Amino acid sequence: MKANYLLLALAVLGLGACDFDITNPNNPDPIGTNPSRQRVANAAAGILIASRQNAADFILDVGIIGREAYRFDGSDPRFVTELLGEGGGALDPGSRAFGGDHWLEHYTAIASANELLNVIGTATALSAAEQNATRGFAETMEAWNYLMVVVTHTEDSIPVDVDRDPVADAPPPFVSNDSAYRFIAGLLDTANAHLTAGGTAFPFTLSAGFSSFGFFDTPVLFRQFNRALKARVQAYRASRVASGISTDAACGVAGATCYADVLALLAATWIDTSSAATLNNGVYNVFGTGAGDTPNALFQDPQRGENFAHPQLADSAEPGDLRFSTKVVSRPAGSSRGLTSSLGWIRYGSPAAPIPIIRNEELILLRAEANNALGNATPSADDINYVRVKSGGLAAIATLAAATPAARLNQILHERRYSLLYEGGHRWIDMRRFGRVNQLPIDRAGDLVFSTYPVPSDELIGR
Amino acid sequence: MGRHLGIGLLALLLGAGAAAAQQRSISGRVGRAVSDEPVAAATVAVVGTAVSTVTDGRGQFTLSAPDGPVTLTVRAIGYKRRTVSVGPAQSSVAVSLEPDIFNLEAVVVTGQATGVEQRNLPNAVTTVTPEQLNRAPAQTVESALQGKVPGALIQANSGAPGGGFQLNLRGVSTINGGVNPLIVVDGLVISNAAIPNGMNAVTASQAGGNPSNQDDPVNRIADLNPADIDRIEVLKGASAAAVYGSKATNGVVIITTRRGTAGAPHFRISQRLGTFALANKFGTRRFTDSVEAKAAFGAGAAAFCTGPNGACPFYDNEQLLYGRKALSTETSASLTGGNDQTAYYVSGLVTNDEGIGVNTGYQKQSLRINLDQRLSPRIGISVNSNVVHSLARRGISNNDNAGTSPYLVFPFTPSFVNLKPTGPAVTDYPDNPFERSNPLQTYQFLKNDEDVWRVLGTATTRFSAISTERQSLQVIATGGLDYFNQQNLFYSPPELEYEPNDGQPGTIVLGKAANLNLNLTGSLVHTYTPSAGGLLATTSAGFQFENRNLNFTSLLARTLLPGQENPDEAASINPFQDEQPVRDLGLFAQEELLLSDQRLLLTAGIRADRSSTNGDPDKYFYYPKLAASYRLVQAGGDEIKLRAAFGQTGNQPLFGMKFTQDTTGSISGPFGLQVGTRVGQRVGDPNIKPERQTEVEAGVDAAVLSGRASVSVTVYQKTVSDLLLEQTLRPSTGLLTRVFNGGKLRNRGLEIAAAYSPIQRADLSWIVRGTFFMNRSKILELAAGIDSFQTTAGFSRSLGAYQIQIGRSATQIVGSEGLVGDASPDFQMSFSTDVDYRAWSFGMLWDWKKGGDVVNLTQLLYDAGQTSPDYVSAGAARITAWATGTTKVYVQDASYLKLRELTASYTLPGTVTSALFGRAVRHARLNVAGRNLLRFTPYKGLDPEVSNFANQAIARNIDVAPFPPSRSFFFSVDLDF
Repeated sequence: MKANYLLLALAVLGLGACDFDITNPNNPDPIGTNPSRQRVANAAAGILIASRQNAADFILDVGIIGREAYRFDGSDPRFVTELLGEGGGALDPGSRAFGGDHWLEHYTAIASANELLNVIGTATALSAAEQNATRGFAETMEAWNYLMVVVTHTEDSIPVDVDRDPVADAPPPFVSNDSAYRFIAGLLDTANAHLTAGGTAFPFTLSAGFSSFGFFDTPVLFRQFNRALKARVQAYRASRVASGISTDAACGVAGATCYADVLALLAATWIDTSSAATLNNGVYNVFGTGAGDTPNALFQDPQRGENFAHPQLADSAEPGDLRFSTKVVSRPAGSSRGLTSSLGWIRYGSPAAPIPIIRNEELILLRAEANNALGNATPSADDINYVRVKSGGLAAIATLAAATPAARLNQILHERRYSLLYEGGHRWIDMRRFGRVNQLPIDRAGDLVFSTYPVPSDELIGR
Repeated sequence: MGRHLGIGLLALLLGAGAAAAQQRSISGRVGRAVSDEPVAAATVAVVGTAVSTVTDGRGQFTLSAPDGPVTLTVRAIGYKRRTVSVGPAQSSVAVSLEPDIFNLEAVVVTGQATGVEQRNLPNAVTTVTPEQLNRAPAQTVESALQGKVPGALIQANSGAPGGGFQLNLRGVSTINGGVNPLIVVDGLVISNAAIPNGMNAVTASQAGGNPSNQDDPVNRIADLNPADIDRIEVLKGASAAAVYGSKATNGVVIITTRRGTAGAPHFRISQRLGTFALANKFGTRRFTDSVEAKAAFGAGAAAFCTGPNGACPFYDNEQLLYGRKALSTETSASLTGGNDQTAYYVSGLVTNDEGIGVNTGYQKQSLRINLDQRLSPRIGISVNSNVVHSLARRGISNNDNAGTSPYLVFPFTPSFVNLKPTGPAVTDYPDNPFERSNPLQTYQFLKNDEDVWRVLGTATTRFSAISTERQSLQVIATGGLDYFNQQNLFYSPPELEYEPNDGQPGTIVLGKAANLNLNLTGSLVHTYTPSAGGLLATTSAGFQFENRNLNFTSLLARTLLPGQENPDEAASINPFQDEQPVRDLGLFAQEELLLSDQRLLLTAGIRADRSSTNGDPDKYFYYPKLAASYRLVQAGGDEIKLRAAFGQTGNQPLFGMKFTQDTTGSISGPFGLQVGTRVGQRVGDPNIKPERQTEVEAGVDAAVLSGRASVSVTVYQKTVSDLLLEQTLRPSTGLLTRVFNGGKLRNRGLEIAAAYSPIQRADLSWIVRGTFFMNRSKILELAAGIDSFQTTAGFSRSLGAYQIQIGRSATQIVGSEGLVGDASPDFQMSFSTDVDYRAWSFGMLWDWKKGGDVVNLTQLLYDAGQTSPDYVSAGAARITAWATGTTKVYVQDASYLKLRELTASYTLPGTVTSALFGRAVRHARLNVAGRNLLRFTPYKGLDPEVSNFANQAIARNIDVAPFPPSRSFFFSVDLDF
């Protein structure tokens, strides 16, 4: 009897001593108000981690739609059916890996940036200048992520006012692409102002992507990156107006105002035509194989991987173009559903290879594009030829300065195709902003080249 | 307990119990009707007193009784109760008991510490007896239950050795909450966790944007030794399971292990020899000549077809990989015995099942000791301990994005490709010219070893505080521990063909999971009989405390040195840890009234639960139940019982549902890795609470034809409200999902169990049993503003997605074109028969599932690779239809009829037995038994029982490159000493 009561007593004692309030042992809570310097640094690194999540996937998928790449992946035929519009099919907005892609990851980065922006003003451990530097950094990264959404979606349904409670608040309104571009340009200017008031150093260390190819790791240097992004935004806006896709009055007639902005903005960047060595200078998403790190998924054994280069890349490349031969290599043929390729990718040499966000070679070609549109034939031709010679190892085209603006634009698009090959989905984005998607090759009868990604079905929840 | 204290207590209690008048001795023998075999462990009690005893191994007993005429009741498990009168001068009595073939008198649990006889039971609780359970060898308990429980859908997730089953009771109980029934072994809530083995590191199955685990894990109920089980009671819905409160929404499986019985030591040993064989192949297309090969695979393919007129060779690589038929063995032994103070059951098991796949298999060793010790007439303790070790080698299977899982490689490897090695070395295996790996090489050298050590221990003390003619009070305390340590070694050597593809040759995932479940249960059971026979009131109350913690750590290492099987020198190491500590406390009280000459049973009970998984860990949630049954007894033993029951249960939030957390990661900085935090994927709900299931059940049980037939018909409706929903958020929030309580779903169903014994004679007995089950689910409500969403597990709509939608079946499957199927079966039936004729026994069990669709993505892969066996006649058209928006072609009817069990056994004549084995052996029996020997299905995949995402509330029935199914065949010799 005693034993039983003893047991019961022990039990009750044991239960009384038990704490039912268990805290989360696995992951940190969201950043709260008055964050420490360490939390701010972690949040800043988190924005960069979030920003790179979609980089490889973006390049591959957009590369497939833009007919730069194939993926013959046994486990998922959708790379050769859905993405190539086989049989006139559509992108499935309900699938996050395919038709509904290139949205969530960027908004995750934006939400992470907003989470930090919402509390940075309460961080007493940071000086006012450090708070501003942090704001400028977060806003610039946010703008880049918005840009990635806008360049893939043209249905005039871009949510930009997303800093809301996901449950209690109404969904953010959809705005037109023109409005979204204006919003992004404005956000970059806001960021620039914050960076200008940001003192001499960030209160955290940026990733190696800001110091491996040139230095962009202080508020002052980082502003160059901000201005370069804005130059790209203005060029995109201008080209959309010039090609009749957009009627954004802010860009002036045929986009002239925005193109003029491009030249002014580029002057505040690291644009450099002094030597071939500077072509790669810029800001990168970095990858690695360390603990918690993410490898660059575009790296594969070029002879055996499932990613292939599109055969037309070889057909259109000029003989001896180093931009082709250093990025694409012959490999054993692969085929799937009537498609064949014997070209593999060597653009990225290891799982730790960085992927450019924006770099000098693109800036030079943006300047060529702006000058061409503004009637400055010679500077435009010079920049085009500079890239051809220094990056492609090709001969300059002597007649380029005397050619028509349309011919030079064609040349710029050709140079951009090879200069920026497999590093940002540029081919499809370029063809879209100039309204030339219909010029991309069709490999199989009945296939489609999509002109836009659809808005993911989940984005319509509650709307 | 100290020795002196124990003796002291014993003396005290013996003294306290010596009050009743005892003036004469009655002895006797209890035997089985007709055959007169002795019945051991029968309880003989003197009616109207607390005097009782149990028979020994020869069926004999002696007890003290008051003077004058007395009435004895004699009961034994498996027999019908018998009441005999003993005259004042009579001192010995012979009692023969009729076998209770339908277990009408078996006591079935209705509370934490109480039970009622099946004939009064107000719920449709299914009891599975050891004879049914062990008809044919089963690797795990769940497979032994298939086809035996009406209301249960029990299906394998794949054919991989070592388990991985889902046991689903009465339809859909949840959408995003836990899906497994509560498993209680001898009063101990044990873990049925499924821990990923790390295969994803190689298969990259989650790379396609799918967060759910596709590693084909084993759920840990697999560790139990089916031979140790005395009976399994399955509480299917809330009306029966309410007493388990917020853990019981998926039902409760109560497993009682065997115990010793008084009598001479009884040793039993069984040796099995057998084999597993591939039950079904997918098959592959035969290419006649180089023209056909070139048409499909381009000019390069011609090089493979160099026979006369360009004929293509044919290699059955599927057969080479999964065609293994190695000898599997099992030795199981048990020893039971005891006396009126002590009883013991000791068992051992050594199993070595060789899998059908190269280098796959399952080993299990188990040792169990169950001990019962009576310390005094009032105090008894029972101690159970079980140590199990298992090792499963499961190969690699399921979805994959890296060209490594065999059924993702075979579809793209035409049959003219020879993958056979030229020698034993890893380099002797040819590279696969059409895909990234050679599965023969992969299986030969890859390790996916799941090594588990598990200890289950319980100690139960029963103290009879009051024991008088009119009332009794029992105090029961059970403490238990379930601890397992699971080590997964997933080793993919750097020499494998696919390994260098990611630039990091060689992969190891070293996982270690430790799980501790500590239970403490205390109950008081009071019975009161105001006047003999009129009313029996049973009052019980108590508490149940559970403290559990699953702690999982793993190291993922890449870039290995050849021959290196640990992560020490790997170039890249990623550690991971996840801890899930939970504390629960439940309080319960229950009243059972047995009235009107044991014809009317009324029950009411309530349970209150709190748990650390709830948003408010201090808040109690209440789960009531009410039940009634009434027996209409007719002359001749026939009776009909009407019953109705109501009850509520809950489903605790999963660990972490209340937390909102950041996601962490790292990125290279100029001076090394920097850690970062970004928004998490899921918004937790700080107010999360359990789901609530309300079930109403009604039924009729009948025993007719003079007790030769029994029928049980049950209808139920269960509604689940406050569902734990994980709602997809607009992706512009940057978040994937949020967790909240909301919505409501309903299941309605019908269960029928019938049994008939056309013949019951001493030399011939024949029993047939059948079950029928159908269930329909419907989503009644979702949260405000939401009328449908897709489950997180599963792929996109074009690949068949599970869409939760108001007004629709919870398991509907939608495709690009809209509704394309439903995973839930139309109905299930089973049929079994057992015949015992003299020394011979035959048994078989058929399991039929009608309807229920599976998304056959394996066939999609074969069609995409142009290698399905019917590619030319049908496959090409299928994939074209799919590519242009017809998902329906791959959502296929997965009806099946399977011969689950087939057995025949022969008991050797006594003379032969003694000649062969000596006089010590009492019985020797020879058996042949097979499992899953036959199956009939219209389904075109490997097996209609499949789940790429393992155990799922909704998104089962997705077929992506599973481990193929096997059938097994065993010969065994059983010796009884």
